[in-house]
Order: sequence, then C-alpha cells, then structure tokens
Amino acid sequence: MRIAIGSEPRLLSILRSVVRFRAQEAGFADNQAERLAMAIDEAAANIIRHTYGGRPDDRLALEVREYRDRLEFILEDWGPKVCENLIHPRSLEDLRPGGLGTLIIASFVDESSYDPEFKNGNRLKLVKYLSRKVPPCDEGSCSQSG
Amino acid sequence: MKVHVRNLDKISILDSSGDVDLYSSPRLREALLAEIQPGGPSILVNMSGVTYIDSSGIATLVEGLQLSRQTKTRFGLFGLRPNARSVLELARLHKVFTIFENEAEAVEKIGSVQPFSGI
Repeated sequence: MRIAIGSEPRLLSILRSVVRFRAQEAGFADNQAERLAMAIDEAAANIIRHTYGGRPDDRLALEVREYRDRLEFILEDWGPKVCENLIHPRSLEDLRPGGLGTLIIASFVDESSYDPEFKNGNRLKLVKYLSRKVPPCDEGSCSQSG
Repeated sequence: MKVHVRNLDKISILDSSGDVDLYSSPRLREALLAEIQPGGPSILVNMSGVTYIDSSGIATLVEGLQLSRQTKTRFGLFGLRPNARSVLELARLHKVFTIFENEAEAVEKIGSVQPFSGI
C-alpha cells in the first residue's frame, strides 16, 4: 500500500488514519496502533517542517509493508539529504518547546534507518514488530501486502 | 481542533477539542498567548476533548507554561486522555506541568497552587 500527499500539515491526519487502520489490521493493540500513528506522523511532520521548510507544494509518500512479524513504514521525500548525525532526541532535562518528535519516533518504533541508496531525496524506514517474542522471518517466506 | 475560552472567577478555562497537530496547534498557541497575561487569571487547559496531540501540541503547552512562569500566572492541565498523558510521561513533562484529573479538582485547587509549582 502506498499513498502520496502534498506537504501540507492539514493532510497529516490522513497518514495517521492509514497507519492506525493498517496497524490494527495487522494485529497491534489500539494503544500500539496509536503510538505508531504518532511516530509516522512525527516523521512526516519533520519532513514538512525541516526538509521542505514548511513549503506546502512539495510531496511525500508513505508505503506500508506488512510481514508476518512486523510492519514497515517507508516514508519518502524529494528534498535535500538529511544529515543523520544532526538528528537526536532532545535531553529530557531540557524544558523547551520542540525537539520531542525524534524522541517519540525513537520510543514508538523498534528500528529506524535511512536508505543510503535513495538518491533523489530521503527514504526513511520505520519498523515495528508485532512481538519481540516472534523470531524475525526470512523476507522471502513472508507475505507482503504493501 | 477547536478552542473555546470560558472565564470563571479569576480562572480562564481553555476547552480544547479535536486533534492538536502541526496543522492545528497554532490555534491553541494563539489562544494561550492571548489569555496568559501578567496579573491575569489562572489558566486551565481542558484536554478532555483532545483526541490526539503531537509534539507540536506538546511544545505549545510548554510554551504556555514558560510564559506563565514569566508572568507569574498559575497554569494547569486537566482531563488528559491516556495518549496525551503517555506522551507527557515519555518526555517526563508530567512532572513539570500541574495536572489535575478533572475540572472540579482543577478549579478547586488551582488557586492554592504556587505559580511555579511543579517546575
């Protein structure tokens, strides 16, 4: 499943709805689905705010891949390359507006990584396992409905 | 999202509802900054109708808290749903904000809270 939206903040609610639905369909509890929706929402909001500098006329895409043991969320943009070294959650001792998005993403997904092979922008993969007790499967043996 | 301001005796209650996200949080910010004034009423944000809040919404609340510090205004939240509470806890901000369970408790106790309580 893949959807593309314009880089407008008002469209983020669409992404959240898609993520909640797919997560619940995949077997995540409601509160886990909500946390996943929040993580993907924060990642998309970062694209709008930082990669695109708030411009509403760019675009981003979300692809959801479902495997037996996990969901993968692939977010793509076509903006300047993100410098991963500059991305880190803010200190919890630091009381200031902002900087929470990265903390939320890091806390609510199991894995996150940028694809270095994606040349024309950024491709961020966020992974959430259904349960850590389920051993990861070989990708070739998994269903993929994304 | 919607923000409606109610004025009680020495208390302003901001009834917030809907999703507070990157798109809508400026509305909450505008309402908060308009209400928090030196020598003004205590501020209570009613979160019971907030169905979703992201980092920009949390940042807006932090900004309101900081302004309340500067203006020596009492500032509190009430009616947090589990998701909002869990995000505040994740960021350890639940120890920073003055949080009440419901409106009755908030209205009863906000007057006795020191303006910098919890900070």
